[in-house]
Amino acid sequence: MTEPSAFDAVVVGAGPAGSAAALALARAGRSVVMVERGPFAGSKNVYGGVVYGRVLDDIIPTWWNEVPVERWVVRRSTMMMTEDQSLAIDYRSHAWGVAPYNGMTTVRSHFDSWLAGQATEAGAQLVTSTVATGLVRDSAGRVIGIRTDRDGAELRAPVVIACDGVNSLLAKEAGLLPRAEASHYTLGVKEVLDLPAEAINERFGVRGHEGVDIEILGCTRGIPGGGFLYTNAETVSVGVVVSLPHLAEAKVRPEELIADLKAHPSIAPYLRGSHLREYAAHLVPEGGYDTMPTLAADGMMVAGDAAAMTLAAGLWLEGVNFAIGSGYAAGRAADRAIAVGDCSARGLASYRADLENQFVLADHKRLRKAPALVLSERVQQRYPGLLCDLAEGMFTVTNPTPKAGGLRVTRAAAAKHGVKLRELAVDTIRGMRIFG
Amino acid sequence: MTTVDATTRSPLVVACLRITDLHPEVDLLTGAVTRDGLGVGLSPADAAALEHALRIAEAWTGRVVVVAAGPRYIVPVLREVVALGAAVVRIPYGDDASDHGQAAELAGDEHGLARAVAAALIPFGTPDLVVCGDHSVDRGTGAMPAFLAHELGAAQALGLVALTAERAGQTSGPTLIAERRLDAGWRERLRVPIPAVCSVEGAGVRLRRAPLSGALAAGSAVIASAPATTTTTHGTDGGADSWADNQSGSVHIGATRAFEPRTRVRPAPDSADPRIRLLALTGALVAHDPPTVIGPVGAAEAADALIGFLVRHGYLDGPPTPPAPPTPPAPIDPGDR
Repeated sequence: MTEPSAFDAVVVGAGPAGSAAALALARAGRSVVMVERGPFAGSKNVYGGVVYGRVLDDIIPTWWNEVPVERWVVRRSTMMMTEDQSLAIDYRSHAWGVAPYNGMTTVRSHFDSWLAGQATEAGAQLVTSTVATGLVRDSAGRVIGIRTDRDGAELRAPVVIACDGVNSLLAKEAGLLPRAEASHYTLGVKEVLDLPAEAINERFGVRGHEGVDIEILGCTRGIPGGGFLYTNAETVSVGVVVSLPHLAEAKVRPEELIADLKAHPSIAPYLRGSHLREYAAHLVPEGGYDTMPTLAADGMMVAGDAAAMTLAAGLWLEGVNFAIGSGYAAGRAADRAIAVGDCSARGLASYRADLENQFVLADHKRLRKAPALVLSERVQQRYPGLLCDLAEGMFTVTNPTPKAGGLRVTRAAAAKHGVKLRELAVDTIRGMRIFG
Repeated sequence: MTTVDATTRSPLVVACLRITDLHPEVDLLTGAVTRDGLGVGLSPADAAALEHALRIAEAWTGRVVVVAAGPRYIVPVLREVVALGAAVVRIPYGDDASDHGQAAELAGDEHGLARAVAAALIPFGTPDLVVCGDHSVDRGTGAMPAFLAHELGAAQALGLVALTAERAGQTSGPTLIAERRLDAGWRERLRVPIPAVCSVEGAGVRLRRAPLSGALAAGSAVIASAPATTTTTHGTDGGADSWADNQSGSVHIGATRAFEPRTRVRPAPDSADPRIRLLALTGALVAHDPPTVIGPVGAAEAADALIGFLVRHGYLDGPPTPPAPPTPPAPIDPGDR
């Protein structure tokens, strides 16, 4: 074992949460080292989503001028589909396509490298290709550093911030993360398909750096989850995110679900002639507020996916912004704790208080019941077909038969899909309470 | 020729590495190659070259200098090399060659690159050994180590699978023992004098990991750049021979010109059928000797067979006494095609 190195803080993981934490500490003048298991920041990350950058406004002013963006999302579409139908709510905003923008598609290896670069420019040190293999504790049990896989050498610091992603080994070792339960996780799988920029622009109705985000319900053979289709500069990302235990129970391979989605008549025209560039899969901690670990212990905090900060609440599917928000708050809390010389759980308690006062825990708390509703059997298996049939009933011209009234069409669609109007009303009220 | 003598100077082992994007994006339609720097790393051969250099320097109690030519995006890889305890110098090459006034367009110019590498090493002294990957720092042709050996006036042993230091004897300095593949699974073992330039395959050794302390220290290390000059003005180094003066074992290139084979006039094929004429012109109807296995035979018998073949086909004059030629295949009937 080599001589331990002393820093003010050790951040494990150079993803969005880790880089934000290191950035906050470095700006406060603290010596901080980021330990990244991949050869560069972002090399181990899988992400198929939209990054919402509002969280960066206070951290990196005019970040949009330098962030490695693929496309700025100006069209957000929420689609419900059956095997041969689809109904979409399509929203487009010119304002989303100009500064300060709303959301963007990005390649995480580029985005994470950029954010880690912000931290190192501020003074943080990045050590790559190094795995944190465990925690170092003092005789009182307080965390005082980490062990690494480089000759078993240690890095010591009064604060360790674990941003080591979903299924965090450090949080588990610290006893912060409860025993993993499959129902708290989903599996995200995606394909990245090559498509010329001109084809993307023409098919999705955008131009230049404008992009589209399509979220899809009802495309997973009844397995709780959803699908997505995002435009990048010269590729598109298409995939599904499905409940882990239900996927195992259904004995369906995830790539079959992507193949179904790609072949759907509403999706296939977008992807015609594209070529597979890469395939990736990753666990997503979608359990929400009620499944979060204890956020701080003596000498240690947890942030980002390691703390189950991904928000999967139907209308809102966000992760990177929650990781950045939690990481930055952890970094600032560590700075305050170091300043007063108290890095115990009590000294780090301002971390949670910070998160509750901002969107990270406020949104999670307000939407804590959303995952259960969104992943419920009716929402997943019955409502997409019901709504599609309702739309078909309303929009199909039945001459010479007179048009049916809306209530009659609704009743017929509900009956066809085994939904009682009372259940529909109950779920509507539940939804309004959660999202309202 | 120099010899390693630890009492007078510290032996210098150089690893000349090709650091490049191992995972470039290739446009399927245009073939355009895009490199973003994130996939940059050492090839297996270059990683093996570095490990060999480190091991031999340890055996000789010497210094290791790593020289690499490439754009700025190779710097993170060079930092990892620094973490292993080597001194590092980068020759701007490719994307940022314009960093220096004397920058040369070295891509595709193995000889020019070898000159630049030799010049970059001057401040470190005369190398006793230079180890390269067998794809070398040019576009992977593997020719650069030979040019570098010429520049340094050093022995060369290329395409090696093993390279170890041999201790100095009573009457001679230390040498190197190298192994190289031969056909049929055989290997030849070479004793290589120093100074030498060796290129190695990506086999046999695995590059060590840097200790954490090295990785931390390398984070703030300054990576020196050497001008991409192709003019070498070597001086002497602690009694070592001057490279420029030590050209006795080098290849001297005389006047050269492009090879221009003489035009041969061939009679027009005698047929009214364009297809037959085309077949005749392309030689498709002419029977060719198939590959022939004549062994295992002794060296003299094999040489006779080879000379016989050349004589039969008009490449050599003289009264041959060829062995019985193999039965040629029947001419191909165009109607069967």
